[in-house]
Amino acid sequence: MYGRKASRLVKELTNVEKGQLTLFNSDLFDQVIAECSQHYVELQSLIRKMQEKGLDVQTSKNEDHYGALIHHLALVRNKRCLMAYLYNRAETLRNLIWKVGLVLPQEVQEKLSHSEEEYFKRHSASLKSYMSRLDLDLVVDMVPPKDPYIQVRVVDNIGEGIVLSDDKTANFAPYSMHFLKRTDAEPFISRGLMEELTG
Amino acid sequence: MAGQSDPHLSLFSAEEVEFMAEDEMVEIVPNMRMDPLNLLCGDYGPFFPQMVTQVPVWLAIALKKRGKCTIRPPEWMSVESLTRILESERESQDSFQVLPFHYVEISRLLIDHARDDIPDIYMVRSLVEDIRDVRFHKIETSLESFEDARSSAVRIKNLSAMEVNIVRPFVGRALQAFYKHGSPDLVPNPDKVPNRWQPAADPVQKRPLRKR
Amino acid sequence: MASGDGEGEGSVSGDIDDLESLISTTDVERLKRAWRQEKAAPEIFQFEAALIQRIKEQIQLMEETVEDFAESGIDPLTVSLYQMDLDRTQFLLRSYLRIRLQKIEKYMFHILNTDELFNRLSREEKSFAERCSNDLKMHLDENILSKLPDNYQSLLKQSIISEETDMVPKPQLDTFVVCKTKYYLGHIQLEDINNGNTDDRVNQRPLEEPFEMEPNVLYFVRYKPIKKLVEGGKIDLY
Repeated sequence: MYGRKASRLVKELTNVEKGQLTLFNSDLFDQVIAECSQHYVELQSLIRKMQEKGLDVQTSKNEDHYGALIHHLALVRNKRCLMAYLYNRAETLRNLIWKVGLVLPQEVQEKLSHSEEEYFKRHSASLKSYMSRLDLDLVVDMVPPKDPYIQVRVVDNIGEGIVLSDDKTANFAPYSMHFLKRTDAEPFISRGLMEELTG
Repeated sequence: MAGQSDPHLSLFSAEEVEFMAEDEMVEIVPNMRMDPLNLLCGDYGPFFPQMVTQVPVWLAIALKKRGKCTIRPPEWMSVESLTRILESERESQDSFQVLPFHYVEISRLLIDHARDDIPDIYMVRSLVEDIRDVRFHKIETSLESFEDARSSAVRIKNLSAMEVNIVRPFVGRALQAFYKHGSPDLVPNPDKVPNRWQPAADPVQKRPLRKR
Repeated sequence: MASGDGEGEGSVSGDIDDLESLISTTDVERLKRAWRQEKAAPEIFQFEAALIQRIKEQIQLMEETVEDFAESGIDPLTVSLYQMDLDRTQFLLRSYLRIRLQKIEKYMFHILNTDELFNRLSREEKSFAERCSNDLKMHLDENILSKLPDNYQSLLKQSIISEETDMVPKPQLDTFVVCKTKYYLGHIQLEDINNGNTDDRVNQRPLEEPFEMEPNVLYFVRYKPIKKLVEGGKIDLY
């Protein structure tokens, strides 16, 4: 059945959630490419048959014409599917940069064909080049900024004389509340020694 | 309900809507003297104790957190005002009451960060939530009546930023589907069209401005 | 520091021949508006070169000021207010540039093939668009096009008998957008008279459908008919 393999290829794009990739299916991909050549061979031989019968290829509509048409349409459909497959994966990769940055996580790298890895490297470089021309990193600052200071309460005994980033010293007595830079508080919060107060 | 199928380029995230809301002005009462703040987004101050001043919400909250002021909740955020608005929302099936474009975000920000400056805060919060619910319900039911509206444009009187953001993909899709498939009956039946989704102006008669 | 300046170069924020010129608008306001428009529209707008240049300068000045403040012993809590303002502006700047890059990535072939759109890009964006599309072309070529039979190797056309470039992703101008105008706008043509549709449906639509927009009321409208008004700064998108 013509076009079935190409359909399967495109369908793989939908097998995962938007923004994710399946393993590049090089077997199936190559098979669809090979089918294109086969269709072309068939197409050409049908055209030749028409010419041998002395028919005007442009206007005659005999069974050879329709046969050739079917091969042409199947070829074109295969082409569209191949392009869609590659194009969509490339688009997913480009969009990923805006989520995770210019270095791909391991689990994504594993899914790419060698060619896709190269494409990603080249595209990354294009982006880097743009950003360096503007002297602006555009892969950071993806969400609107908040107050760098937060209110916290000390949960556990941290101690006295802790030096903070603005060179002030603080005494973190248990249950005391403080207004600190988030970056100063974070190490304590992540160790459960402090908690952020909202509202 | 926020549509995910829209091209992500054109949807504002909730954080971004809040970000825009943070630029709305609100009144503060400074409790100390402070030098003017000459910021990129505007010049504010100098600040004098007990002299009411207007600043953007983000700055008001930051100043409050730093112990420099109290915040005056806007007039519409009082129990009386919100109760009135809720009643009107409930009574009118077809129209939305006038509320600030960012009423959802502003009330949430002030409730979260200026708790002690808001009288009857639990009542206020509960009223805002009720108002949101009533309005959402109205939006939902009106989406169903799109087959009566003409396809080319729809006017939305008094919808707020967050409601627009949530409704956007649905209205867009409904109108688009209608636009594509069309309908032989293109002249809106004035009896069936709910007031709030007033279709594009009939060129023949001047439509009077809707009463609020 | 918060001074606004007119643009006068036909860009979205350059429309100063009305009341707006009397009300001083900060550049941050203008940037916010440009950001919002860019987010809400399917097509890419004219790059706001002068505005972005001014914003970058203002950011740089402010960064130096904040450093000076911090060093001169001004209360860090106050310094942090300036930092917050700076952060907000930087977010807008980055986000504005980012959205444009994303649009370029999404519609690269279409933009490169449409002069009107290509000319809206900044110099750096133009380079990026060209590099970007070459990268992708090469990728598609190596893996597919070069392996296909003659007559089927075109990037933009399905085959050489295609009448138009039928493989290029284009922005959907028929998308509905949310918009508002500051001043009354009348006689907006909503339906295309000649949109090439030979539907019966189109013949049934009245030829002239002037649509009017009241000021400060939100409307959902198809982007295409109001495109020029949006580009001219008369309609704001939300």
